[in-house]
Amino acid sequence: MIRVFGYLAWRSAHNRTARQLRHLRSPRYVAALLFALVYLWYMVIAQRPAPVASELADTKWVELVGAIALLGAVAWGWIFGVERRVLRFTPAEVTFLFSAPVSRRDLIQFKLLHSQLFILFNALLWTLILSRERLGVSPWLRVISIWVLLTTLSFHRLGASFVRTSLAEHGRLGLRHRVVSLVVLGAVLVALTWSIMDALPAMAEHRGEGTFAFLPALGEAAAQPVPTALTYPFRIMIRPLIADGLGTWAHALWPALIVLLLHYIWVVRSDTAFEETAVAVSLQRARALSQQGGRGLTAPLSQLRPTPSVIRLAPSGWPAGAILWKNLVGVARRRRVRNVGVALLIGGVIVTLLSFDPEGMLAKVAGWFALTWAGAMAVVGPQWVRNDLRGDLLKLDLLRSYPLRGASVVAAEVIASTVVLTIIQLGLLIIAYLAFVGDEFMEPDLGGRTLLLLAAFVLLPPINLLGMLIQNGTALLYPAWVRLGSGKPAGVEALGQNLLMMVAYLAILSMLLALPALLGGGTFLLLRAGLGLWAAIPATVVILGIIAFEAALLVDWLGGIFERTDSASAGVGA
Amino acid sequence: MIVVEALQKLYGDFPAVQGLSFDIGPGEVLGLVGPNGAGKTTTIRSIAGIIIPSAGIIRIAGHDLAHDPVRAKAELAFIPDEPHLFDYLTVEEHLRFVGRLYGVADVNARIPRLLEEMDLQDKRVSLPGELSRGMKQKLAIACGLLHEPKVLLLDEPLTGLDPVGIRRMKATITKRAAGGSAVILSSHLLHLVEEICTRILVLQHGKAVALGTMAQILASRPALENRSLEDVFLALIGQDEASQA
Repeated sequence: MIRVFGYLAWRSAHNRTARQLRHLRSPRYVAALLFALVYLWYMVIAQRPAPVASELADTKWVELVGAIALLGAVAWGWIFGVERRVLRFTPAEVTFLFSAPVSRRDLIQFKLLHSQLFILFNALLWTLILSRERLGVSPWLRVISIWVLLTTLSFHRLGASFVRTSLAEHGRLGLRHRVVSLVVLGAVLVALTWSIMDALPAMAEHRGEGTFAFLPALGEAAAQPVPTALTYPFRIMIRPLIADGLGTWAHALWPALIVLLLHYIWVVRSDTAFEETAVAVSLQRARALSQQGGRGLTAPLSQLRPTPSVIRLAPSGWPAGAILWKNLVGVARRRRVRNVGVALLIGGVIVTLLSFDPEGMLAKVAGWFALTWAGAMAVVGPQWVRNDLRGDLLKLDLLRSYPLRGASVVAAEVIASTVVLTIIQLGLLIIAYLAFVGDEFMEPDLGGRTLLLLAAFVLLPPINLLGMLIQNGTALLYPAWVRLGSGKPAGVEALGQNLLMMVAYLAILSMLLALPALLGGGTFLLLRAGLGLWAAIPATVVILGIIAFEAALLVDWLGGIFERTDSASAGVGA
Repeated sequence: MIVVEALQKLYGDFPAVQGLSFDIGPGEVLGLVGPNGAGKTTTIRSIAGIIIPSAGIIRIAGHDLAHDPVRAKAELAFIPDEPHLFDYLTVEEHLRFVGRLYGVADVNARIPRLLEEMDLQDKRVSLPGELSRGMKQKLAIACGLLHEPKVLLLDEPLTGLDPVGIRRMKATITKRAAGGSAVILSSHLLHLVEEICTRILVLQHGKAVALGTMAQILASRPALENRSLEDVFLALIGQDEASQA
């Protein structure tokens, strides 16, 4: 059976790659490929080894930080939901494989085999990305180390999916089936919470003293028995990456392989909920595909309820406003989004009250957490929030049949995701603001923080608009190479691909923001002598004006591309 | 109402449609038939403004589709064989959405009438995921009819409909044509084409091999007299017994 699966996986990958390479007849695809190659060449060959500070280069810190990052990623997946798409089969796979004389275990083997092509590609990509680091042994051995790490993480996500699905769909019966996994998970979560609470006071003392003071404190906290036990499996996974010789590498690899093997056994043996879950997820996908539904959906369709829409659509007005309305209703209808909104509201009230407790740490932790996430959303948000053309391009034929100019469609689509991203960021910033409301010693003071929050209200929407235009422009220019709809590469193993995309995105965004920043800054400096800090107001107007001009140009250009895009030759739509 | 002149569509070097010309007046129903790959869908999508033709002119209600696409599209409705619906909008919200796109001021009055015509009154607040294939198709048709288009483009409109739905659909098409709309109906169901179309366009390899009423087509080929559309169709595309022999 494994040969059949191998044939299917290999031929599918081969034909898919060949199809994507055929797009290289188009100059714009050639330009994108050249950009990626130049970037990789710059990373691998042109750049000299990065001067890493000796303290940071110490492999023990790399091992510790890497292990904590892996632990965090795994814990995040368990707590906030592991992606069900791990189990997703295509409609053709469901039709041919589920009705064939193939055991559940064989189907899992197929899933694991199928994911290998993707993992291998990303392992190679990571090897190239990390090639300038002085850590570890030769690049070829590093490929193996990264492959072991990514495969283990992939298996872990699959196993976690089984456990969560089993619990969600079988209730008490699921509990009985998963008792071992749940006991281990519960113990890990309790230990993790206890470790964090135990380490926080000592860590807080070194906050703000720089990385070199912070790392030893972190190391000291992690050296306690419980954190040591918690991070041990993750350290095992990191060690082959940082081994400094062939012997050390071989010595570090076999424990990592054992962890990988244990994961394999866990996944292959825990197939009780597999078929139900896989069928449910695959049918959901089949349904979406039959409707040509790219939708950036994270909640299953079964969770959607036709709740009354909070956003009304007037019968008359800007016609493309209907698309904006549709995309916002789609987001508002997701139960998870509503739950997050309610949680943020309640959280805001609680952290405000807690911020007046001078001894309390909880509000501060929540504040820094919210602030960090708000910052992270500025970078990754435009990739994550996708209720725009990236979701709708799979319905290109339908969009094209509407009596709308291409620029109007692009504008409405992009505004929708900009609104959502801005609300998320401002929500997080408000939480952070409230968490420090009672802090009298913080710099900048409350007045300064209020001004910064107001500035965020003014500047974030246009910046996000540019970010979303870049993301949507990429989808429009390269529909055959950009994953459309909800099927974007996810999980730690897809980080290599996402990192490349992010580099390109940040480079273009920086170029677009350079002119408004330069002219806005110049205006401020020119007028400051006469107006003082009030010069920020004309400077902001200049910045907003230039961003609006750039956005209008981009919308017009992308609108033209939208009107010229043919679904058949672009490889999207019906 | 619909004017197509020298329409051509190339995919690379492959001509999907070549030199196609025809026109359709108000109240006419043109049946578009042909074997798989003949260019029916390419033709209908070109007229809908979805595909950009390589050459040729398309006019919808007097508006040149290439130069004034927004006005041209405002006069037409395209209903594909696969219903394209949005997962998050209910049945009624789909109609409100389309109403806003096409600037239908009295959308509130039209929605109940259309829901009744399509037998979807009970599904007003259902999401597409809760609808059967046939109901989704009815909703897609309702969306197409909401703005009372002058031009109706239907690509295999009966796919997924039950016998009652098929009868209603046929009545809907004839009613719209009687009301002055020009209709293009692409279908492999030759009995449907024979029943409701006033003219027939047979395509093969992207070219028109016959165009006219059934009587006109038969008049130009006396050997096919008294034969059914199916026999005529097979003879036209060279798949009848005589051609096979």
